[in-house]
Amino acid sequence: MKIAVIQFPGTNCEYETLVAAKSAGVDGEIFRWNRPAQELCDFDGYVIPGGFSYQDRLRAGAIASKEPVMETLREEAEAGKPIVGICNGFQILVESGLLPGLDGVDAALAQNVMVSKNQIVRRGFYCAWTTLRHDAPPNRCAGTFLIEKGELLPIPLAHAEGNLVTADENLIDRLNEENQVVFRYCDEEGNSTPDYPVNINGSRQNIAGICNPEGNVLGMMPHPERSNFAWQLPAFDPAKKGGLETPGPGRRIFESMKRYIEVKR
Amino acid sequence: MKINLRVWLKIPDAEAVTVKNTLIRRMGYGKALSDLKKERLWSIEVEDVENPDELARKFARQLVNENKEDYIASVDSLVFEEGYVPVKVGLHIEDGEAITTMNQLQNRLGFDMVTGVERSTVWKLYLDSNDSVKLAEEIAERLLINPHKDFYEVL
Amino acid sequence: MRIIGLPDQEVEANLRGAGLGLSVPEARSIADNLGRDPTFTELFNYDTMWSEHCSYKSSRATLDEFLHTTGPNVVQGPEEDAGIVAIDDEWCLVIAHESHNHPSQILPNEGAATGIGGIVRDVNCMGAKVVATADPLRFGDPHGSDSNHVRWVAGGVVDGIWQYGNALGVPVMGGDVVFDESFNTNCLVNVVAVGVVKKNEIIKSRAPAGAGEKGYDVILIGKPTDSSGFGGVTFASEELREEDEEANRGAIQIPDPFLKNVLFKANQDLFRLARERGITIGFKDLGGGGFTCASSEMGASAGYGMDLSLDKVHKVSDDLPAEVASCAETQERFLLICPPEMTPKVLQIYNEYWDLPNVYEGARATVVGKVTTNGRYITHYKDEVICNVSIEHLTKGIRYQREERPREITLSEPLIAPPEDLGAALLKVLASPNCSSREHIYRYYDTEVQGNAIIRPGEADAGLIAPVRGKKFGIALSVDSNPFYGRISPYWAGATAVAEAMRNVAAIGATPWTMTDCLNFGNPEKPEAFWEFRECVKGLSDAAKALWIKGYEDTPVPIVSGNVSFYNESPEGAVDPSPVIACAGLIKDVETAVAMHLKEPENRIYLLGPRFDELGGSDYYHTIFGSLGANVPNVRFEMERNMIYATIDSIAEGAVVSAHDISNGGLGATAAEMALAGKAKLGMNLSLDSAGSANLGTDKLIFSESSGFLLECKTGKEEVLESILRKYSLDVIDLGAVTDSPKISMTRKEKVAVDLDLKAAKKAWAEGLVEAMR
Repeated sequence: MKIAVIQFPGTNCEYETLVAAKSAGVDGEIFRWNRPAQELCDFDGYVIPGGFSYQDRLRAGAIASKEPVMETLREEAEAGKPIVGICNGFQILVESGLLPGLDGVDAALAQNVMVSKNQIVRRGFYCAWTTLRHDAPPNRCAGTFLIEKGELLPIPLAHAEGNLVTADENLIDRLNEENQVVFRYCDEEGNSTPDYPVNINGSRQNIAGICNPEGNVLGMMPHPERSNFAWQLPAFDPAKKGGLETPGPGRRIFESMKRYIEVKR
Repeated sequence: MKINLRVWLKIPDAEAVTVKNTLIRRMGYGKALSDLKKERLWSIEVEDVENPDELARKFARQLVNENKEDYIASVDSLVFEEGYVPVKVGLHIEDGEAITTMNQLQNRLGFDMVTGVERSTVWKLYLDSNDSVKLAEEIAERLLINPHKDFYEVL
Repeated sequence: MRIIGLPDQEVEANLRGAGLGLSVPEARSIADNLGRDPTFTELFNYDTMWSEHCSYKSSRATLDEFLHTTGPNVVQGPEEDAGIVAIDDEWCLVIAHESHNHPSQILPNEGAATGIGGIVRDVNCMGAKVVATADPLRFGDPHGSDSNHVRWVAGGVVDGIWQYGNALGVPVMGGDVVFDESFNTNCLVNVVAVGVVKKNEIIKSRAPAGAGEKGYDVILIGKPTDSSGFGGVTFASEELREEDEEANRGAIQIPDPFLKNVLFKANQDLFRLARERGITIGFKDLGGGGFTCASSEMGASAGYGMDLSLDKVHKVSDDLPAEVASCAETQERFLLICPPEMTPKVLQIYNEYWDLPNVYEGARATVVGKVTTNGRYITHYKDEVICNVSIEHLTKGIRYQREERPREITLSEPLIAPPEDLGAALLKVLASPNCSSREHIYRYYDTEVQGNAIIRPGEADAGLIAPVRGKKFGIALSVDSNPFYGRISPYWAGATAVAEAMRNVAAIGATPWTMTDCLNFGNPEKPEAFWEFRECVKGLSDAAKALWIKGYEDTPVPIVSGNVSFYNESPEGAVDPSPVIACAGLIKDVETAVAMHLKEPENRIYLLGPRFDELGGSDYYHTIFGSLGANVPNVRFEMERNMIYATIDSIAEGAVVSAHDISNGGLGATAAEMALAGKAKLGMNLSLDSAGSANLGTDKLIFSESSGFLLECKTGKEEVLESILRKYSLDVIDLGAVTDSPKISMTRKEKVAVDLDLKAAKKAWAEGLVEAMR
């Protein structure tokens, strides 16, 4: 079993993403975007990591979404292989229409807006640790296959455009009905208060990650690879201990992906 | 009155080149698209002033980076040259940068005659086609915008 | 240009008319060395190489006189782009420190971004992976008469740093921001980068042995050369005048983090190729002085010459004048020297695998010339030899003995009575621009990318990363310098900067291992400014000498990289003397590091470093009295060393579970910050009686900035801690304990001096910087 971590020009999280995948017991390699597309078919799953592909030119993820490698990924996704898009990876999947995966491009990830008590207190890039609540049933999607509904995971985010918006009034309802809303931002007790600093970027209903109807494609703004080891946790988190190998909350994403591949084969 | 500042890069515009490359190499517009350029457009709504040209120059001093950009200012009118189809793209959701800029102009810099700031990009598409407007619309819808946050207008 | 035989006035007119900064004597010495009149290109090349920024002509003598750049852990000192110290037998730490002050004052975003771009290149071209940066910034008074401009500069600089660093994928692990009116028209943007490299994979910039004899290829990689930054080093070597602003704008470089991101990865492929083939290459980044500086230095440092063609240099246009192609500071470029057999593969890596021409229009790798053995620096353009000079004469530069004269300044301690409500005063100090939380800024910085962060900004005095997977060692980094101290005493500013940087590293349990310095001053041709420079260097040298490397008696902590930035001055005045020090520390096992938030109620709080009447330059005097004062904190070298070692040992023994050094805002701010870090649910109950002499006023006990630490001792380990303190001849000062009520209480002689509610403190502390940058 092996996964490909796609590397576009401007990607910058590929190395630690591969480390995280390997620590979960999945073999893998970093796949440069302009390698022959056929080589991509040999892999069992794909991760599109974070960064600034093409420097976010035109729109974050827009240029990468038109690259031939994304066509191949679309085919592989249709064949049922799992894809996890992290941060810029999520943006690329949204621009490609692979997420929410209903009918073409159904949403956009726009600039962060921090709203507190009806006032906009801040905008733009923000790097902080947040807590994610898994709002989908277990086994719903590849990236959270082993995660229980309601589980809380501390995972950091760092982005300028994570605000999920859509012109389709019914989209969010549909996503809720189909259990395609996988993660929401919440506080440490699991409450998804709509105000900043719990809703870090103004995203509709605090949505932090979604999957497609089949559940094999997951996109999330926070970075599980940066929460892959317990030692990566913030200083005041009591779980930050146990040596270099102790897994952190983000590991669950990669373990889920591995399990999904095993089960679906 | 509305003060328009059309701003473009004097140094190579890497973003325009990338967009052009993608249209030609990835999306099949190699024959139809001969060139593509990009401008930023600031449209600043102000209460009527006596010397709008002077005000435009002051705005330009704040908004135009003379080290790498050039600009043309116009009051109320917005005229583009021949030879290309100008496609304006802007946010239809709230534009945080435009709001921040308006606040800075009004509060920090004291331009209290400013009543609104709109920020957009104008893509200049040099097209070989019988119906270049239709082609420009197609290009806008297929690449230049994401309709869930952007709108476009062929000017 | 005609020089020989012309009178001084005419030569002067010719030089200035051409836009050259060289002095008449300098121009004549060049003509002498050549035995003829120099060409325009030759003069521009010399102008660049002999500028202050490139040649260090005013500072070199002083730096050589005082700074310790060698040591048992030094693998490579300041002679290359970055310094290298050993971590263990296999791995090394690479560190570089630079300034980008003038450009940031004119175009804050590009200036700061280019600063980051330059410093990470310096570390990368040694063969290292760049793992973190830190940014010490100084801006003017955000509430003063120039506040609009100051805030515009500050906002632009922060934007430049995050837009570049986040896109590049290098986390920010530290930094600081100081607001001081002397920076109103001359901001300081200093940047530090750290990297890791295996000892046997270090790459030097000098042309490798045999390069001249075998005619190695010289390959230029990266952005096509344009005119951006032309005059950059000369610009950095002159005072800023407003009339020159238009011309100054033309000297700014344009950064591109995206191209840099791709280049770094392509560079890794190049380094791997060289390793696999067992070939030694020379590799250097192009920074100040552009193509001429990089190519001439690579040749000269190996005793070789260079024969280069500007026609072959990939440029934005073939019309680019020779001097621009030679000296422009187009960003994102590297120069490689390698044997010709390796060239085809090198070109393939950059031009095909990494698709440079499609990543950035015109970017590529091209062969531009050869290494020679004739000791000449020769460039051709359009069928002419436009430069043919002695490579040694060009690169050696010149030395000046500048005059020094002490700056006359009248200092006095404020004679105003202290405020009744010291709690309210503490709240004001916590809300002041220099003491308040930096969170507003560091939330823009990606601190997590690369996944190595153990301690991040806001959690402790120094950042900590674990840069190599599978290895337990960690690298700590802190940057410090107090310009208010500098205004009072440049000597003590230098010494306290070193001491504070080391204390910050020790406060997390790491051992100070190496330092870098970035020395920012006014015009060195003015004797007072030069005196300030020399005094700072003496101060930092004395401190480095006395605060020796732990485990190596009498061995100064080495300074392996650094930068001098002169001419930070405009007609309004010069900046306060600003010797910025970065201290990198090592910790053997990252699990033993401690952050500064309070851990457990009832843990005792100990004070290291009794309080002295040292409030000159303090935040308290500045915020409450609007006064500078006179009694600047001194460094009591032996006690300082002992405090640093005691902190490290007591953390290693598990006796101390949190530590925070005392600097701005005194022990009052230190106590508040320990309580406010983290969840802010615990407080402190302290008695100030043993914090200093009985004669010292309570306000002075709270706000004195005498160096020291507050240590939280784990219940049951007090004896362990106290025996360590005694071993280091330190007074045992038990001030009180952690409590589970969220407030800071301080008493003196049984009377309540401070009763600060943490909620109010948090609000004030969190909003201070937001207010200053609105």
